[in-house]
Amino acid sequence: MSIVTDLLARPGVVAAGEYAYRGDRFSYRGALSDEHARMASVMCRATTMGANMEGAMLDSIHPGNGLHPPRGWLVRGPVHTVCVMANVFCLLDHTQGSVNDIIGFMRQNLGDVPYGLI
Amino acid sequence: MSMIRRLLALDGVNVICHFRDDGSFVEGYGLMSHDDMVRLAHFAHDYRRMIQGNADQLAMFTGMRGWTPPRGWIIQGATQSVCGVGNLVCVVDPTGAPLNDILLELREVSHW
Amino acid sequence: MAILDELMRLPGAMAAFEFRGSGELLEHRIAHPDRINPATLDLLAHMCSANMSIAAMQTRGWEQVTAMQGFYPVQEFTLVGFDWSVVVSALRRERCKQAGQSKLPPFTGIVLANESADYEAVFALLERSEPAA
Repeated sequence: MSIVTDLLARPGVVAAGEYAYRGDRFSYRGALSDEHARMASVMCRATTMGANMEGAMLDSIHPGNGLHPPRGWLVRGPVHTVCVMANVFCLLDHTQGSVNDIIGFMRQNLGDVPYGLI
Repeated sequence: MSMIRRLLALDGVNVICHFRDDGSFVEGYGLMSHDDMVRLAHFAHDYRRMIQGNADQLAMFTGMRGWTPPRGWIIQGATQSVCGVGNLVCVVDPTGAPLNDILLELREVSHW
Repeated sequence: MAILDELMRLPGAMAAFEFRGSGELLEHRIAHPDRINPATLDLLAHMCSANMSIAAMQTRGWEQVTAMQGFYPVQEFTLVGFDWSVVVSALRRERCKQAGQSKLPPFTGIVLANESADYEAVFALLERSEPAA
């Protein structure tokens, strides 16, 4: 959980956590209820699975493209950005924090996590 | 004869494949090359997981019972349709094909 | 399209493109045709269209259930790939919706090399205020 704790200390981060690629285990820190964190983990699992499948299909048709395997994804709204890298998620108030900072930190600490577990 | 091969006897079913929980190909029969069947099995395995994710989220947001666990999926094309139930996937010519019967058979065989 | 040319001037830009809600590739610019071609971009556009729809569903559901605000409408979806990232924006469309227009402009997208990607600069450019038309 140390990366989760480190993320939570960064400006703008509302909550951060880990989710399992398979099954329904999760853990989190920050301003979320248990139920909402569970919901976030369900969405992260589903979207990561989808992105991985899409990347594999793109790679089978256009091999060697730089998008596969995926490292993570972001969904950005008017105030909040959801940042997911490997099996870690982070809710960022991007009016208070920097996406570049969060993505850079997550890539540095999670960039080499094997994707085959997805 | 493999148990799943009997599904080819259903009107419209042209291909039937069986895959493991990790997506690896077990067996397949019908009008498709072996390599394409392996690809189809892999796709169906991934798609099954995606549908599970969709159903989980739908259940989560609506609070309704009955979405999970998902039992299958169908992609309906103009001249080809693909149906997945459990660890089975089949390709169907949808013209006149009794999809209800096909899905029921897939469901029964998927439990074996 | 001026926005595509501006996107191509961002650090790490490999391609910039527009696509319909149904995924079809429209105008595009490609910096390295030996690494990305229009067929790849078209498939990528279809994938991004699907991901934007999923993200819209998720953010709508999330806000309804949690009462948290600021997630919907989705402005951008970003896929961070192994070496490249793709950022796609729905903001022009959302602004037209809010203005009551029924005919919506296309989505806008950019493919970036991760090493030099400046996501904040991409978002700033895509979110820059402009006329809804």
